[in-house]
Amino acid sequence: MNSSAGRRALTPERIMAIVLLALPWLAPLLHVTADVLTRSLIWGLFGLGFDILFGFTGLLSFGQAAFYGAGGFISAWLLTSHTVNSVALALLIGTAVAAVYGLIVGFISLRRVGIYFAMITLAFGEMSFFLENSPLSALTGGENGLPGVPSPSIDLFGHVYTVGSGWQMYAFMAVIFFLGYVIARRIIRSPYGMVLRAIRSNPRRTPAVGHDVQRYKLSAFVLAAIYAGLAGGLLGLFQGYMPPDAFSLDTSGQLVLSTVIGGRGTLIGPLIGAFTWIDLRDTLQQFPALGASWKLVFGAIFVLIVTLFRRGIAGEIGALLERRRRAREPLAPSATADQRPSAPAPAPAPQRVRAAAQGPAILEVRNVAKRYGAFTAVADISLEVREGELLAIIGPNGAGKSTLLNVLAGDLEASAGRIAFQGSDITREEVIDVCHRGISKTYQINQLFPDFSVCENVEIAVLAHERGRFRADCFRNLSADPSRRAKAETILEKLGLLPFADHPTAEMSYGEKRRLEIAIALANDPKLLFMDEPLAGMSPVERAEAVQLIAALAAERTVVLVEHDMDAVFRLADRIVVMQNGVLLAEGTPEQIQNDADVQQAYLGGVDEHEPA
Amino acid sequence: MPSLGLFLSQLFNGLALGALLALVASGLTIIFGTLGFVNFAHGALFAFGAYAGFLTYQASGSFILALVAGAVATGVLGLLLEWGLIRRYYDRPPEDQILVTFGIGIVIVESLRAIFGGLTRDVSQPSWGNGILNLHYFFYPTYRLEVLGIAALALFALYLLIYWTRIGLIVRAGIEDPLMVRMLGIRVPRILTLVFGIGALAAGFAGVVDSPIISVAPDMGSRVLVESFVVVVIGGLGSFPGAIIGGLISGEILSLTSMIDPAYSDVALYGVMALVLFLLPRGLLGTEGRI
Amino acid sequence: MSLLETRGVNTYYGDSHVLFDVDFNVERNEVVALLGRNGAGKTTMLHSIMGVLHPRAGTITFEGEPIHGLDPQEIAQRSVQLVPEERRIFSGLSVEENLRLAALTAPKPLQLGWIYEVFPRLNERRRSRGGNLSGGEQQMLALARALIRDPKLLMLDEPFEGLAPVIVRDLSGVIRELVRTERTIVIVEQNVRAALQFAHRVYVLNNGHVVFQGTPQQLMQDAELTAAYLGAAV
Repeated sequence: MNSSAGRRALTPERIMAIVLLALPWLAPLLHVTADVLTRSLIWGLFGLGFDILFGFTGLLSFGQAAFYGAGGFISAWLLTSHTVNSVALALLIGTAVAAVYGLIVGFISLRRVGIYFAMITLAFGEMSFFLENSPLSALTGGENGLPGVPSPSIDLFGHVYTVGSGWQMYAFMAVIFFLGYVIARRIIRSPYGMVLRAIRSNPRRTPAVGHDVQRYKLSAFVLAAIYAGLAGGLLGLFQGYMPPDAFSLDTSGQLVLSTVIGGRGTLIGPLIGAFTWIDLRDTLQQFPALGASWKLVFGAIFVLIVTLFRRGIAGEIGALLERRRRAREPLAPSATADQRPSAPAPAPAPQRVRAAAQGPAILEVRNVAKRYGAFTAVADISLEVREGELLAIIGPNGAGKSTLLNVLAGDLEASAGRIAFQGSDITREEVIDVCHRGISKTYQINQLFPDFSVCENVEIAVLAHERGRFRADCFRNLSADPSRRAKAETILEKLGLLPFADHPTAEMSYGEKRRLEIAIALANDPKLLFMDEPLAGMSPVERAEAVQLIAALAAERTVVLVEHDMDAVFRLADRIVVMQNGVLLAEGTPEQIQNDADVQQAYLGGVDEHEPA
Repeated sequence: MPSLGLFLSQLFNGLALGALLALVASGLTIIFGTLGFVNFAHGALFAFGAYAGFLTYQASGSFILALVAGAVATGVLGLLLEWGLIRRYYDRPPEDQILVTFGIGIVIVESLRAIFGGLTRDVSQPSWGNGILNLHYFFYPTYRLEVLGIAALALFALYLLIYWTRIGLIVRAGIEDPLMVRMLGIRVPRILTLVFGIGALAAGFAGVVDSPIISVAPDMGSRVLVESFVVVVIGGLGSFPGAIIGGLISGEILSLTSMIDPAYSDVALYGVMALVLFLLPRGLLGTEGRI
Repeated sequence: MSLLETRGVNTYYGDSHVLFDVDFNVERNEVVALLGRNGAGKTTMLHSIMGVLHPRAGTITFEGEPIHGLDPQEIAQRSVQLVPEERRIFSGLSVEENLRLAALTAPKPLQLGWIYEVFPRLNERRRSRGGNLSGGEQQMLALARALIRDPKLLMLDEPFEGLAPVIVRDLSGVIRELVRTERTIVIVEQNVRAALQFAHRVYVLNNGHVVFQGTPQQLMQDAELTAAYLGAAV
C-alpha cells in the first residue's frame, strides 16, 4: 500500500468524497433514485464493519443481522416510545447496545474458528431473530416491526433542520457513511489493522510473535457490531419504520453476498455489492415476469464470482491497477535464485568457544513429559540450557525431539514437569507470553505471512515487541512510527534480505524464505532462540551458508536446535543431547557423543546380533 | 403442570422431530467427515426434495412413490453439484467452501421460487397416515408416529449402508485417512461424489417425509439448515452416531420446551448448543483430526 | 530391464528441495535396503515412487512404463504397495475390514485364510478395532494389508521402528519368509543391522544425495562411511 506522498494525491478518501458529492448529479444518467443510493449507503456502512471482520481479519460471520437488528430496534424503540427525543442520542444508545451484544456473542463464538465459527454465528443470528419475533414482541412489534420512527433532525445553534426524504436523506447518510469510511480506513492502516491482517494471513504465527489473537479478534468483532448497530438505526430513520427482517438470516446472508461480490478486503466492496443487488432488484421488479428472480440472478452471480473472480468487483479492479503500477515501477531488478546475494558471510565462522559451558542456566527443564492419550511422545526429560551456548537435540525418528522443542518454546503444553526461564516458571504460559519474555522459535516448515512484503513480515513481529500483547491503537497511522521499519530493516540486513524489503514474499527463493523465517523470530530480540530443523530441505551450498549464519546468531544469544544434519551439528554445537523414544539417551560435548556406545547402538540398530542373515 | 398425556405427546413429537433432524444431520455429517466441509446448501436440498415429492404426489397420488422420487431426484442433484462444481473447491480455504455451498443453496431456493411461486403449498397426508391413534394416555396423530417409523427406517438403511456395504467401508476409511485409501488403489474422487449424493438424498427424503406436517414453501429449508447445524455441533462433526444422538436430543429440547413456552424453544436449543461448545468443543462424539 | 528404475529424481516438499538427482533401481526378486539418517530423504523417495509426491525433475519407471506424476491409486493398481512409516491402519475399522478394504481393487488378491496363516496374531484379533491393537499388531496389519494385494513391488518404510525386540523378531521372521518366496522388496530403515539381514543390495542417502551403492558386505567394510552417514561417530 505504498501510495506516493503528495498533497494532491488521490487518496481513496478523496475519491470517495468526490464520488459521494457527484452522485446526485450523476444519478439521473445512471437511472438510479436517491432512495437506491441511500439504501446502498446504509448497507455499505453495515459492510464496512463486516469487511474489517471478514475481509481483513478472515472471520466469516453469518450472524451480523443480530447486531444490525439490535441497534436498529433499540434506536427505533427509544424514539417511538419517546424515551429519548434526540436522534443522535438514540443512535448512540442503539449502537452501544449492539456493541455490548457483539461482545457477548463474540466471546462465545470466537472460542472456535473457521467452519464452527461460521455455524455458531449463524445460530446466534437466528436466535436473535426468534427473540425479536416472540418473547420480545411486545417491545419490538413482533412480526410487524416498529412503525413511526421520526425523521432525523439536526439541532444547529438553535435552528432545527429536519432531514426530509429524497436527496436530503441521501446527504445525511452520505456524511455518516463518509465518516464511517474514513474511520475504517484509519483502522485498517493502523498497527492494530496490520495485526488483524496478519491474523488472516497466518493465524498460527501471529500469536507466536507475541500478539494476543483472541483480543484482536474480539475487538474486531465488536467493531463490526458497532457498524452494524449504527447502520440498523439509520435504516429505521430512513424508512420511518424498523422491519423485523433486519434480524433475519436473509439479511446476514445478503451482507455476505454483497461483500464477496463487491470485493472482500476493499472496504468499498459491500457498498458496491449492495448497490448492485438493490439496483438489480429495482430494475427487475419493473418487469412483472421477472420480479422476484433478482435473487436468483444475484445468487448465480455470487457463485460465479466465488469460483472465477475471487477478489470480487472492486478487488479485481484493484488488482489490475496494482499490476499496472508494478509494471511501471518495478522493484529491485529481479535476479534468478543463483544470482541472488546470499547471506552475507559474517566474521569467519568462529571456532566454537566453549567458555559458554560455564554460564548460568537460562532454561531449566525438570521431568517434562508430553502425552497424547495413551501415547507418550516425551517421557521424562530433565536438562539445563546454559546461557550463551548452542545446544543441539538429535536422535532417531520418533524420538520426540520436535515435540520437546515445541513444549519448551511454548507451542505445546507439557503434560507434566516444570520449565523455568531465567528462574521464572513458564510451564503453563502460552506462546504469546513466552514470546514477550524473549524466547522465539523458527519453524521446520516456514510460517511466513504470505500476503505481506518481506519487510512487513518482520514488522508484524516488531509490532508485538514494541506494543505488547494487545494495543487498540486503531487510529494511529502505521507510517507515524519510522522506528518500526528501521528496526525491521536492521534485522533484514543482518540476514542479507534488505534488497528485497518491499518484494512480495511469494517471489522469494526457498533459501531466502528460510532466512526470512529466522528474521521474524529475531524481531523480539530473543535471548533464547529455538530452531526446528533449520537446514531442512537445503542444498549443500545453502547448508554451508546457513551454518555460518547460525553460528553468528549463536554468538549473540543462546540457541537450541533440533537437526538431522550431523556435520552441521558437530560444527555448531557446544553440547549435544540425544533422545530416543521420548527419553534422554546421552548428553555431552560433541566429542563425548561421538564416542558414546549407546548412541552408536541407537543409530545402528538394536536387532539381536546373533540372528542369521 | 402439564398433564401426563401432554407430556407424552410432546415426547413423541420430540422423537419424530428428532428422527427427522437426525436424518438430515446424518447427511450433513457424512459430507463433512468425508469431504471436509459444511454444506450450507443442505436446507435447500431438503426443500428441493420436498418439491420433487410434491410434484410426484400430485401426478401419481402415491406417497410412497413421492418418497422415492424426492429422494432420488435430490440425490442426483447432489451428484451433479459435486461433480460439476464442488469438487473444484477441495483445495480452497474452508471459508470459500462455505461460500460456494451457500450460493448454491440460494440458487436452488430461488429457482424453486421462480418455478413454483412463493406461496405455501399444502401436502396432504398419505391415506395410510390419516387418523388419530389412541395411545391410552393420549391421542396422537397417526402420521406423526409413522414419520418416526419412516425416519428410523431410513436411518437404519443409512446405518446398513455405512457399516455393512463396501461403499460404506470405503467411506468410513476415507473419513479417517483418504490418502491411505488412495494408496490401496481406490479412486477417491468417485467416492466423494457418491457421498455428497447420499447426503443430499437423505436431506431430500426428509423433506418429502416432513412436507405433510410443515407444508411446502421455497424457504422451508432454512430453519432445518440451522437446526441441523446445531445437531451436528452437539453430536460432533463427522460422527454418524453423534448425528443421531444430537438429533434426538435437539428434537426433545424443541418439543419439551414448547410445553413451557413455545416462544423460547428455539432459543433454548441455541442455548444448549452454546453450552456444549463451552464444555465439549468437539461435541459429544466428534471425530478427531477433522477440525 | 529393472523392475523399478529412477533416474535423476529431484523431489521438493513445497519449496524445500529434498532429493537431489537420485538414481535408484530395483531388480525382480531382490531386496534393496535404503539407509540413511532421518531427514536424509528416504521416506521422500518412497513417497515419490508411490505418487504421494511428484518429482519436479527426473523419471521413475516401473516395468518399463513411466509412473512419475501418476496418482497413488493408479500406482497401487499397477501393483506397487507401500507400508507407510506411520502404518496408517484404519483405527475405526476392524482387522478384517482393513484387509477386505485393501483387497477390494486388487486384480488377484491373496486369500484371507492364507494371510491369517502367516499372521496368526491377526487371526486371533480379526474382529478387533484397529485402534485397539498394540503397536506390533498394527505393524503386522499394515504389512498384511499391503500383502493381500499380492504386489509386484512391496515397499516398507521403517517397519521395525518403535517395536519391542520380541516383535522385531516376529516381524523379521515374516519378512524373511517373504524374501524366501522371492518377493521384490524395498526396505527403508534407520535400524541398519535389521535391514542388512535381508538386503541383497544397499543404497545410502545423505541430505538427499545417494552417497553409497553396493552390497551389504561392501558397506560394512567401509567403516568410515558407516560412521559418517549412519552413526554418530567420526
